[in-house]
Amino acid sequence: MTMAGMNPQPTILVEKLNVSFGDSHVVKDLSFTVSPGESYGIVGESGSGKSTVLRVLSGLNPDWSGTVAIDRQVQPKRRDKAFYRAVQMVFQDPYGSLHPKKTVDDALAEPLAIHGIGDAEKRIGRAMSEVGLPASFRFRYPHQLSGGQRQRVAIARALVLEPSILLLDEPTSALDVSIQAEVLNLLQALRQERKLTYILVSHDLAVVAHMCQRLLVMQFGRGVEEMTAQTLAARNPQTAYAQQLLTASEGFRRA
Amino acid sequence: MNESTREHPLLELDNLRVDFHTPTGIVQAVRGLSFTLGRERLGIVGESGSGKSMTGRAILDLIPHPGEVKADRLTYRGQDLLTMDKRARRKLRGRHISMVMQDPKFSLNPVRTVGDQIAEAYRVHHKASAREAKQRSLAMLEQVQIREPARVYELYPHEVSGGMGQRVMIAMMLIAEPDILIADEPTSALDVTVQLQILKILDDLVTQRGMGLIFISHDLHLVQSFCDRVIVMYGGKAMETMPAAELADESARARRHPYTLGLLGCLPDLDHPRETLATLNRDPAWLA
Repeated sequence: MTMAGMNPQPTILVEKLNVSFGDSHVVKDLSFTVSPGESYGIVGESGSGKSTVLRVLSGLNPDWSGTVAIDRQVQPKRRDKAFYRAVQMVFQDPYGSLHPKKTVDDALAEPLAIHGIGDAEKRIGRAMSEVGLPASFRFRYPHQLSGGQRQRVAIARALVLEPSILLLDEPTSALDVSIQAEVLNLLQALRQERKLTYILVSHDLAVVAHMCQRLLVMQFGRGVEEMTAQTLAARNPQTAYAQQLLTASEGFRRA
Repeated sequence: MNESTREHPLLELDNLRVDFHTPTGIVQAVRGLSFTLGRERLGIVGESGSGKSMTGRAILDLIPHPGEVKADRLTYRGQDLLTMDKRARRKLRGRHISMVMQDPKFSLNPVRTVGDQIAEAYRVHHKASAREAKQRSLAMLEQVQIREPARVYELYPHEVSGGMGQRVMIAMMLIAEPDILIADEPTSALDVTVQLQILKILDDLVTQRGMGLIFISHDLHLVQSFCDRVIVMYGGKAMETMPAAELADESARARRHPYTLGLLGCLPDLDHPRETLATLNRDPAWLA
């Protein structure tokens, strides 16, 4: 596996990314690359800037400096339409990310309409079957679905445009463990079938180790350490902070 | 412990049922749960809809309409809670049995400072001047590891972080010095390192003050490392009760309920990487 920096043609390249909101500097000189078909994890505590990185990548946050390149194309602050077709995002909270008064069909038809893609009927049907939603759910509202089903709708909505990159912001942290397992399996299978590239943001080290080949630990807006999943599983991070995060994730210890 | 053998256990529950009568039929949220609580950390784990939160609420008499609580026995230190009138029950609530909710964002009053809310919790249960209540609240904030209590006292809920908000809630619940604390997913909205700090606070309260703690959670790892005993709930029923240490004990696997094994199996594990995670097959016979 190629490590960052040695990667000749990364799918995603981030260099010296800086983001500030007013006086607070939330992402500081962050650089990393993601290879084609790779699944890359970003872990850190709340406020570490991990979600902000995803928001910059997805074009939701226009205020940043540095270089962001997707498929070797340097991205402007305002992305073009083709970008949104190639890069899609799945959000943390399936209760908040679906419009309560729109059916599953509406949610999936909208991105197609925006991009002027015909054949909506077939594409929606296919996206739904890919994420394992029965066709009978097509005209249901979000409140008629369980949390896991809603997250499947959110994934289907991202997939319906046939993107090559999925940005996943804590996609399973609002779900029960049994449902989490189903959604993670689904994401794994989709990545293999469609050769997708993932960036997965999570606070759960076990989930990141399961899903990703490499991961970046962030703290206070900086990349503290980049390591492979094997290094994590071997409990062998080099920095004190990554080690501390790992120890904390192993559960409570009585002194 | 000697204390609990000398007197009544803190809490005794026998065949607790919580029913919701809805237009489409009766929904049984809790179906026949029994346990006793001593001065210990009792974990209740289960997925959403397993009835774990409803159990906590039933103990406090906080089941919303149209819910109905029935039990063969529900006692606090030998006092029958089922026949107790509403007023007496309310006196008990907050003073002797208290509950920390999951999300400080929704459980704190957004238009009052956090300090004010803690002081109020104290004055409801104790005769005290405003000044004394404030002193107590500041001391309490310090006890839950808030570094600048005087500054935090004046903040509104939207001005504090999630971890701090949760500590404020715990301070508010503990200021009346309850015997039983029901913590409903008290740390699931928090970062791991903050989570451990909160657990340390709860742990000290159990060991130092001899409080009984009911720790409701969906996190098997956490419950296993933190609690003394664990009840695994599914569909409103206890699938099994066991010493928490046995959850991770490989040699005890044969004794485990299939649901518990299923839950453990679908967790990604750093030490046992797998291509695909096991998913849970639910057996209708578990609820029979």
